[in-house]
Amino acid sequence: MVSFYYLKVLKQIIFLALFCVLVGCATTQTTDKYTKDDSLEPANRVFFDINETLDQALIKPVAEVYADVTPNFIRTSITNFFENLAYLNVILNDLLQGKINQGLSDTVRFVANSTMGIGGLFDVATPMGLPENDEDFGQTLAVWGVDEGSYLYLPFFGPNTVRDSTDFVPSTLLNPFFYISSTILFPVTAINAVNKRANLLEASNIRDEAAVDPYSFTREAYLQQREYLIHDGNPPITGYDDVFSVDDEQNDGSGVLKIE
Amino acid sequence: MLSSYLIFFTFSLYAGTQYEQAIQEPINQLHETLINIMVISDTTSFEERYTYLEPVINKNFDTALISKVILGRYWKSIDEKIKVRFINLFNRLTISTYISRFNSYDNQIFKNISIEQLKENRYLVKTEFLRLKEKPISFNYIIQKNGKKWRIISVIANGINDLSLKRAEYAAIIKKDGFEVLVKKLEQKIYDLQPN
Repeated sequence: MVSFYYLKVLKQIIFLALFCVLVGCATTQTTDKYTKDDSLEPANRVFFDINETLDQALIKPVAEVYADVTPNFIRTSITNFFENLAYLNVILNDLLQGKINQGLSDTVRFVANSTMGIGGLFDVATPMGLPENDEDFGQTLAVWGVDEGSYLYLPFFGPNTVRDSTDFVPSTLLNPFFYISSTILFPVTAINAVNKRANLLEASNIRDEAAVDPYSFTREAYLQQREYLIHDGNPPITGYDDVFSVDDEQNDGSGVLKIE
Repeated sequence: MLSSYLIFFTFSLYAGTQYEQAIQEPINQLHETLINIMVISDTTSFEERYTYLEPVINKNFDTALISKVILGRYWKSIDEKIKVRFINLFNRLTISTYISRFNSYDNQIFKNISIEQLKENRYLVKTEFLRLKEKPISFNYIIQKNGKKWRIISVIANGINDLSLKRAEYAAIIKKDGFEVLVKKLEQKIYDLQPN
């Protein structure tokens, strides 16, 4: 039974979804393919700075300690457990995208990991030839032809787009944890958040090592990674060298220089 | 008559294979060197590996074209000396980044997947970096013929195009703080990539 508290949360989610749709309607779409729509950049940068400060001061140090003291096999099981719980959303989006075979495979994967994998703690499905897939409602909307809209950097949630932020609704409603008591929900959510952050330590260190403008780096990496996922790792090759096509139009031959 | 067709067909196949090998060659050289760098990472210094990798990058990357595309519109407004200075700086950043990332060996291998034509004299070469305990990383390269030589003009790792990424980042820095600040930040990155 859904408690009163969760009805309140649900109302907030619907409000957020409506807000996202309204923001999507209000934003201006750019026509230049290499000027991504970041019309909310000033606000995005503020939220980015807040998140980064919070991360550096609190979340990252906690995640580092957690990663140091938690044996790898326990971390793997915790990751498996939360990923399995979130997998109903993957199955739904398989089907919404018309990927029937993948949907069936992911359903068997979910059942196998939930039963033989002891509630998802162990990934028994991958060795059985049932690979993990990555689908969400943002990808589904993209497959349906919905434009990504403005880039959003959300407090706590990080990089997003108007289109991708809609996944918050099905991923929350399809996660069994949404329907349990808050006394269990909050500590479990905290463990999930710290575990996720710990899994991203290497990636975030690479970003810190490489980026000269971390905000732009995060935005570009996120948007490109989304394109990659939408096309299941095989984006159309016509888009691969567009960045050079822009340059070709302006090409005056001055790019050919010898390195001294 | 039939034998003539067979000879022509065999020659065409051979020529096609030779052509593909020429396209693949810069990537094979890079991958072979990266594997070697990982293998010797415990027994050699950063500087030694830099010296080892530098000629391979110089030979197989079209850093001048990459620099031009990365700086976008700003490229036209800077003089030749600054262009050459930036190309050298970007070259050092590329080499230092590779050495920093490919710093331990655990039986990783590169696997060639496919070659697809994008336009005349420009190809997409798909490869994978296979690791023992982790998911493979897709490394795709755009390769272009400049004169007689095929050279790498873009690297795309798991769908993320390094060139587009840097283009966006550098444009933001130039717009906000100017070109000299970008140069200083890149110098600092190169310094930070070297071990203490």
